[in-house]
Amino acid sequence: MKRLFRNPGRFIRFILSFFVGAFFIYLWQLCADLRLVSPVFLPGPDRAWAALVNGLMRGELGHQILGTVERMLYGWVLASLLGVALGAMIGISKVAREYLTPTLDWIRPMPASAIVPVAISLLGLTDAMVLAIISFGALWPMLLATVHGFAAVEPRLHEVSRALGLSRWSVVWKIALPNAMPDILAGMRIGLTVSLILTVVGEMLGSRDGLGFAILLAARSFHSADLFAGVILFGIIGYISGQLMSLAERHLLRWRQRG
Amino acid sequence: MTRKWRGAVVPVTLLVLAEIYCFATNLESDSLARPSDIAVAAVQALLDGEILRSTAQTLWAAAAGLGIGFTIGLSVGVLLGLFAIFNDLMEFSIEAFRPIPSVALIPVAMLLLGFGYGMEISIVAFATTWPILILTRAAISGIEPRLIEVARALRFGLFARIWKIVLPAALPRIFVALRLAIGVALVVAVTVEISSNPLGLGYAMMSAQQSLHPDLMFALLFWTGLVGWAVNAGLLQLQRRFFGPAAAVEVLP
Amino acid sequence: MTAIVKNLQPRPPASSNLISFQGVDLELAGRPILEGIDLAIRPGEFLCVVGPSGCGKTSLLRLIAGLFLPTRGQVHYDGKLVTGPSRELAIVFQDYGKALLPWRTVAGNVSLALEAMHVPRSERANRIASLLAKVGLTHHAEKFPNQLSGGMQQRLQIARCLAQEPKVLLMDEPFGALDAITRQTLQDELLRIVADSGATAFFVTHDLEEAIYLGDRVIAMKANPGRVTETFEVDLPRPRDQLSTPELPEFLRLRRALFDFIKDAEA
Repeated sequence: MKRLFRNPGRFIRFILSFFVGAFFIYLWQLCADLRLVSPVFLPGPDRAWAALVNGLMRGELGHQILGTVERMLYGWVLASLLGVALGAMIGISKVAREYLTPTLDWIRPMPASAIVPVAISLLGLTDAMVLAIISFGALWPMLLATVHGFAAVEPRLHEVSRALGLSRWSVVWKIALPNAMPDILAGMRIGLTVSLILTVVGEMLGSRDGLGFAILLAARSFHSADLFAGVILFGIIGYISGQLMSLAERHLLRWRQRG
Repeated sequence: MTRKWRGAVVPVTLLVLAEIYCFATNLESDSLARPSDIAVAAVQALLDGEILRSTAQTLWAAAAGLGIGFTIGLSVGVLLGLFAIFNDLMEFSIEAFRPIPSVALIPVAMLLLGFGYGMEISIVAFATTWPILILTRAAISGIEPRLIEVARALRFGLFARIWKIVLPAALPRIFVALRLAIGVALVVAVTVEISSNPLGLGYAMMSAQQSLHPDLMFALLFWTGLVGWAVNAGLLQLQRRFFGPAAAVEVLP
Repeated sequence: MTAIVKNLQPRPPASSNLISFQGVDLELAGRPILEGIDLAIRPGEFLCVVGPSGCGKTSLLRLIAGLFLPTRGQVHYDGKLVTGPSRELAIVFQDYGKALLPWRTVAGNVSLALEAMHVPRSERANRIASLLAKVGLTHHAEKFPNQLSGGMQQRLQIARCLAQEPKVLLMDEPFGALDAITRQTLQDELLRIVADSGATAFFVTHDLEEAIYLGDRVIAMKANPGRVTETFEVDLPRPRDQLSTPELPEFLRLRRALFDFIKDAEA
């Protein structure tokens, strides 16, 4: 944001693009007002907004948001810890890579949600099941990115560490880990997106309280305004988590910015 | 020679261990299955055509959705990449829409379109539009400015410019975007099927689970993995063949 | 193995030499890189190595550094057989961009060497400051490497090497990628630093004038396989000067001789 205001040209363009966005919302309102689609299915932005404010006022939406965000973060943190630790172990050792990379390459294109039936049959429709699918699904992008980051250390830096006589632990901690940081963060960003998606899926299937189940209920009972309010909230959750991730990336990777 | 087989050690060992474990404990379970039973179930389902039918349904929905998403993403991406003014004007709208998780639209599509191909295709289309749009935009604005100047100097019109200079120059990176989007399309299609839509591999897996057939469920799981792997491997092969090192860059979404 | 056994015959290196090569052959992936290297480097000497590309100059440096081990023969440092890298020998790589940690600041990169030497945290700041002052980077301590020019990055690498308090500075075409003016400035700074620290210098370059300007001795190599074919004693007064030194008759004579040699070697 700071950079936005330092550059007046950019600021003006942002305001203009904001008005373009407002125009799209106006078109949506027009569609609803003209009843191009029945209001049972498509609420105008006015009704969606009212439902959003109403839900927040009564506190029930806040409760659901909290449940969803909590679930997503728990799964994501668990996946991050596991993914980075396992990825580091595999990435450091050439032998481990030779044995495991083909298996990982095979799992990589597998849709993360495909393990949902397995998780349900093992754990039932429980909170543990939802957490398991979130962390399992978000694990892979982080694991693969970490393996790549640890494996791709500039050979020259290995020579520098040998010349300096760095211990094996120092090489991991001071060379390999920071070197893998851009990859790890990129993996964590994908993992965050995957977590949100699987949270929605898990909540819808597991009938857990949370935003995912709430929008499914709203759709089933034709409360389209509540449904759209929920979708808007998901957009906001996605946006905020993405922005926080960018913030972390900018801070942790500031050495990449050219002076 | 031996090196090539090292990759097989881990999965084969796991399968053998699972088989031994199931045999030793004389496993009777509604959620786990013996690897040999899974193999039998897979062969059966392949022979009676059930797996192939489900696969065709999933692939069709994924392909149709991708077709729509690719068309929209590519045309908007080209416009945004070519004309900075469009890019500036659309910035807010794109940043507002893009973070919506595609599966959150499942209830919306359910309400508007009901179950069936329509809802699945539209959700896949939504999900695939973004990576295509963003990466096409990046590919186009990353074109060597000299090439655009050449097009100007030759006095090409807008369409000739796009067709003869811009698209060919951006093609390798657009193909990378397409490969990525195909992966997204498959994942989203299966996810939609698992969470609601009574079609395809995802639904077949869910019904195998609900009817307490873990052998069939695992067979479908491995098959889904195989389909994903085969599509990805085929695309990588195409990419290497047609674009060589130009497209070797791995793009993270 | 047999080669090592053969070389176990007592043949101590002359005690006045800091580094010595005895009948060293080097093969990499079965390809002969160096053959029959016999070389002695005196303590405090500034030795430059020139030769056509592919003659094994860099391999010679890596043998001293302990990054390569000889296929046959022995390399001794300070009377001991070289079996691996030692902190007493610092390496300045040509590709400074790859040899620095991009995620650490200028000060942090120097600190890496101090950490490797187990210098207590409380002493590091002072040591870093004086090292950066030595290479003229005091005002850039908090910048990241990719915010620095090529010349500054190479100074930083030199500072990191000095932090090791090395007895030997091994330099692999350190100024090869820099522009002419920066290169001259760094040459003079290097001479000053080496003179101050009393370190021995082993300097690989493809620039003949640079070799004469810096060195006490220049060895010339030929390729296929790499071998040392000629040695030139550089009898020029120190301190050297960018303007007057290259005008001395001795400088011109050496330049001529080396130039003829290289033309012959590349023919």
